[in-house]
Amino acid sequence: MNDISIVVKSLSSRRLSTIITAASVSVATALLLTMISLRTASFEAFQRGTGTTHLLVSADSSPLTAVLNGVFYANAPSNPISWAKYQEIKNAFPYDWAVPTQQGDSFRGYPVAAVGPEFFTRFEPVRGEPWQLAQGQFPSKPFEICLGSTAAAGSGLRLGQKVFLTHGSGTSREGAHAHEHAEYPFTVVGILKPSGSAHDRVLFTDLDSSWILHAQDRREREGVEGLTTLADLKDEDRKITGILLRLPTRPGRDASAAIQQQFDTLRRDTSIVVAQPAQQIDRLRSIIGNVDELFIALGVAVLLSSGISILLSMHNSMAQRRMQIALLRALGVARMRITGMILMEATLIGCAGAIGGCVLGLIGNAIASGALKARIGLVVDPTLDPRSTVIIVAGAIVLSALAGVLPAITAYRTPVADNLRPQA
Amino acid sequence: MNIAVRLENLNFDYGKDFSLSIKELSLNKGEMALISGGSGSGKSTLLWLIAGLLRAKSGSITVAGQRMDGASESAADHIRARHIGMVFQTHHLLPEFSAQDNVALALMAAGEPEKTHAARARELLNKLGIERVNVPVANLSVGQQQRVAVARAIVCKPAIVLADEPTASLDDVNASQAMDLIQQACREAGAALLCASHDRAMQSRFERVIQVNSFVQTVRAQAHSGARA
Repeated sequence: MNDISIVVKSLSSRRLSTIITAASVSVATALLLTMISLRTASFEAFQRGTGTTHLLVSADSSPLTAVLNGVFYANAPSNPISWAKYQEIKNAFPYDWAVPTQQGDSFRGYPVAAVGPEFFTRFEPVRGEPWQLAQGQFPSKPFEICLGSTAAAGSGLRLGQKVFLTHGSGTSREGAHAHEHAEYPFTVVGILKPSGSAHDRVLFTDLDSSWILHAQDRREREGVEGLTTLADLKDEDRKITGILLRLPTRPGRDASAAIQQQFDTLRRDTSIVVAQPAQQIDRLRSIIGNVDELFIALGVAVLLSSGISILLSMHNSMAQRRMQIALLRALGVARMRITGMILMEATLIGCAGAIGGCVLGLIGNAIASGALKARIGLVVDPTLDPRSTVIIVAGAIVLSALAGVLPAITAYRTPVADNLRPQA
Repeated sequence: MNIAVRLENLNFDYGKDFSLSIKELSLNKGEMALISGGSGSGKSTLLWLIAGLLRAKSGSITVAGQRMDGASESAADHIRARHIGMVFQTHHLLPEFSAQDNVALALMAAGEPEKTHAARARELLNKLGIERVNVPVANLSVGQQQRVAVARAIVCKPAIVLADEPTASLDDVNASQAMDLIQQACREAGAALLCASHDRAMQSRFERVIQVNSFVQTVRAQAHSGARA
């Protein structure tokens, strides 16, 4: 017989109350762990999508919109950039590479991006992690298409299958107005390995194919019959929606002093918008940060309320336990030792709740990361952040112990003689 | 040292309503005495004073050669745990604990090595006729619970057992059996027994009867009668 066995027996004699109280601590701990882990992991995941791009040029309304559309495929960019402008920008500075992109079509809700060949050979979706093929090859001629891993898994497409692209984002909002480019089947020639970025839910093709599709639409409007070929393209058909730029850097370095200089130079051109993706991600973080801080505050509030529930549960039990405490005193157990037992009881509830919270947090993270991957292609690490976990678990246990202070004081003050006398 | 407990020039009061004064009272080890008196006469108060759970205004209380009066609370706890066993009218067993665990509580309080608790408790319970030592005491009969309570009181081989109305809730037959049990257990443990009871029929069982009324100086009101039952 020792103090811990007395405490454990005391807790097990109030099993339901103990379980409910510990569960409230678990839920609060899990909520906080999930919120903090997902916040950290999702921002890391957001950072991944920008890859090795230094600057992003588009004709969107703002740099943040340009990044959301150009990197995360939130929407198709609304304004095009001419091919001539692309050539002008590309030739104005010795960029390491300049990848033109064109968005606006989709397949079963998955965005389609027409890209220059450097997108696969020079651009890296994650620094140090170039594109890798799970199957097949990168598109090498018109009307070939390569699938991001999430798009491949979600659409069920396999190599060699023919697909028809839809003009627009293909969302249910467009409904019957969505126009399918039925004249031009694309052949699936490759499936990419997961990159852990938003690119994974995209279908990639080449620029010529995309220009031909839209030139066909123009020619139909003009009453020209027959299928469009490369030879039929006019300058006005050669439009893009974004340019990914990377400046030369020293070997092993990602930054360059020229980035800011070139950024300022490009900003003088009012026909385009230029963004530094890393800066815009930080800006996005500060905007979203206010929202998730609110969730974290809610989590802290739930944790505090679980501390109060421990206090209430133990305080209510003290009335029934006066005889037990008085008896222990009569047997010679010191006041402080009994006080310690009550604090230990509260702490054990906190420990059980915190351990349960870690398990729930892992489950919550796994569910949330699965949902993020399925919905927006973000790969979020479902494991718990060790530092945050230690802080939150320690906080939950300390709070639980504090919740035991008032009942412990009650135990300390319990009069012995009065509580050992037979009740009238 | 043969004296289990000795009280000298002891004075205690509950304000102006009740005061108790004892010039000298002692009990040797193995001696059995009954404290007799009506309800509210101060029998329990005397037991609580000896146990160190109430503090006297003046005078001395010595238990097994150690001064209880003036001792710090932790020292009084230690004396109580090592040298005093207590038996209560309603047993005061912890219902969610087994018989063995209830007895082991006293060993734990006395600071006996933890690894000896189970064996010592089991051995004593078996000796007192309790075989189902791991059953929660709530599942035992009243008679068996009484045995567990007595085992808890004597397991540490105390100098004195203080029994507060141990038979008050029992019929004559069961009361007689309970007292047989307590007295035999104290005899075998070599402990003195100081038993408080308002039952006059108990007097024949004891070699010494102490009338608590002889110590009480004033009883002006019944306001504190509950506290000195």
